[in-house]
Amino acid sequence: MSASVQIVQLYPVELGITGDRGNVRALQTRLERGGVSVEVHQVGIGEPIPADADIIVLGNGPLSAMRIVADDLRGRAAELEEFVQSGRSLFAVGATAELLSEGVDTLDGDTLAGLGIFPFRVARTRDRNVGYIIADAPFGRIIGFEDHASRWTLGEGAQVVGTVVAGKGSFSRGGVAGETVQRGASYATNVQGPALPLNPRWSDAILAAVTARRGIDWAVGEAHSRLDEYAQGARDAIEHLVHSKDFSTIGL
Amino acid sequence: MMAGAPQARSAGIRYVFPVFAGKLARFATRLRGGGSAFPGYLTNRLAPTLLPTLADQFTYGVVFVLGSNGKTTTTHMISEVLRAHGLKVFTNPTGANLPQGVTSALLADATLTGRIRADVAVLEIDEGYAADLADRLSPSVILSLNVQVDQLYRFYETERVADMMLEASKRASAHVVVNRDDPYLSKIDADAMRGEVSFFGVSSELVAASAHGLANAADTRSGNAGILDHEAYAEVTRVDGRDVVVRVDGADAAITLPARGLHYAADAAAALTVASRVLGSAFSAQKAASGFAQMAPAYGRGEVIPLRRDPAGEQVEFVMFKNAPSLQMNLDALDAAPERALIAIDEGTPDVSWLYDVDFDGLKRIDVVTGEKAFQLALSLEHAGVEIGVVEPDMEKAVALMRELPPTASGRQTWFVNYELMMIGRRLLGHGDQEVARR
Ligand SMILES: [Zn+2]
Repeated sequence: MSASVQIVQLYPVELGITGDRGNVRALQTRLERGGVSVEVHQVGIGEPIPADADIIVLGNGPLSAMRIVADDLRGRAAELEEFVQSGRSLFAVGATAELLSEGVDTLDGDTLAGLGIFPFRVARTRDRNVGYIIADAPFGRIIGFEDHASRWTLGEGAQVVGTVVAGKGSFSRGGVAGETVQRGASYATNVQGPALPLNPRWSDAILAAVTARRGIDWAVGEAHSRLDEYAQGARDAIEHLVHSKDFSTIGL
Repeated sequence: MMAGAPQARSAGIRYVFPVFAGKLARFATRLRGGGSAFPGYLTNRLAPTLLPTLADQFTYGVVFVLGSNGKTTTTHMISEVLRAHGLKVFTNPTGANLPQGVTSALLADATLTGRIRADVAVLEIDEGYAADLADRLSPSVILSLNVQVDQLYRFYETERVADMMLEASKRASAHVVVNRDDPYLSKIDADAMRGEVSFFGVSSELVAASAHGLANAADTRSGNAGILDHEAYAEVTRVDGRDVVVRVDGADAAITLPARGLHYAADAAAALTVASRVLGSAFSAQKAASGFAQMAPAYGRGEVIPLRRDPAGEQVEFVMFKNAPSLQMNLDALDAAPERALIAIDEGTPDVSWLYDVDFDGLKRIDVVTGEKAFQLALSLEHAGVEIGVVEPDMEKAVALMRELPPTASGRQTWFVNYELMMIGRRLLGHGDQEVARR
């Protein structure tokens, strides 16, 4: 096993169109500024995921791209299940979060079988949820951008991460709008922005779990102050916009 | 043609009232400040046949310019090349590319009896309305420049944008012009088109030598992410700064671009293809080159403005971008990292996730990061390892900060801006008075 943290971005070409590389960058930069070396691997269809991967980042994209990667991803079901169970971290946004669910019911009546890594089911909807999303989570407030036409129906055991404060969110439980589902150190979410650069405490929750598992010393410190300062400025600007009454920036 | 679409009639007295009402509404909304969709809406309601009737009068037909990026520049290029061949060109103002904006522009030039005096119309059209407008304006030529990951919050999926362009293209009566180097557009089904299909492109050597190619969207639908190779009717064969050579139907046209960048070279090849198809045997590579020479740098595309109102003093070069591909192509076209730079995005671009898809390797330092999205921009630059001077969301204060910095050795600052902040930046430098319209 190598001394550096191994980050994999899976299907960067097909499912990586909403700045998903930013989630990789955030994890990599925070580790490196804390003195931990990182190797990033881009893995495409048919290519093996390195056996010592610590984090797998999966991104977003259109339904056609989901169909193109679906078989390849299903072929990795056992490997990914073991990955999540072993306490390593998988971070999936949008289309890939949907593929890792129990299944996706599309608008044309088709069903895309999922891998069942996360306990929810997805229904594509005619209405689209577009705008800023704010949700309260155990590690702090999630702030980002949502842009999806889907509702998730959670299974019994689903662990909800965020309670929606502003925006639509991906699902509701007990009449309360929620966003993001967690399993161990793994997450399925619809938060873009991308999520991790904008939410340093979320990144840190993942990195704390990953480095602890590996016995690597890593902590947030002075070296992260600029990242955190800019993230805070961006978060404040979004919160300010959301709370100002005449918020209507998205001309559809 | 769509069943029930209003048909062209002859110009005449029947149009006096609707045109008058529309012009009056246009005058009134302008007095209130700025454009409005209302005059176009009103006229279309009063006289649904006016739009087709106006369009029917252009002897060289109507040209549609579609694309994720470069519509304004290319519309300008086609217009100038056709003018250099002696044609009188009607064109819509920058950004007036929705149905009501196009109607309003036509209304401005129409006589009360519904006559319009120009040989050809060159119109930039929003992809989302292209098919609908094609049913009403019966274009002879439809050009599709590129399909890029852009405005996902509006279009949802990039492939839908390709389908919108290709669906509209079926309505072109004479020519369909598409980008050979665009993965989706290169897969056009020529048999489904009424018009003859022509491709434009950039030589494969030049694309390969460009750090990020042409930044068009990968095809994630067909299983072949890349392009299908086609013979190009017009191909960029040489680039040397702003000077490029485009081989058009076997003859070389040596032209000067309005600004540096391989995307502008591709736009030029597109414009030359369209002009050659519109003019037929009357097309001349020399006249085309003189048309390009006539092009003043458009707003935000290579335009230079004095920083401190002193024409002999330090200058600001505006570099405009709207999405990741256009920012990337502009960065790739830089000779060297700018000596002094500002970058700005406002809230008109709500989702800036795409910033993380841009390689900022060409930049070492940004002196001032500004606009409502300043902190999100700064956050992405910090992750990319670009040094940041100051983050100041207020554009007015940011401009003041840039003016206070010691003069550059090159006598030039570079400002990377989105459209809205470019207009505000120009105004703050004392250049906001000019009309936002093409000649
Ligand atoms: Zn002009």
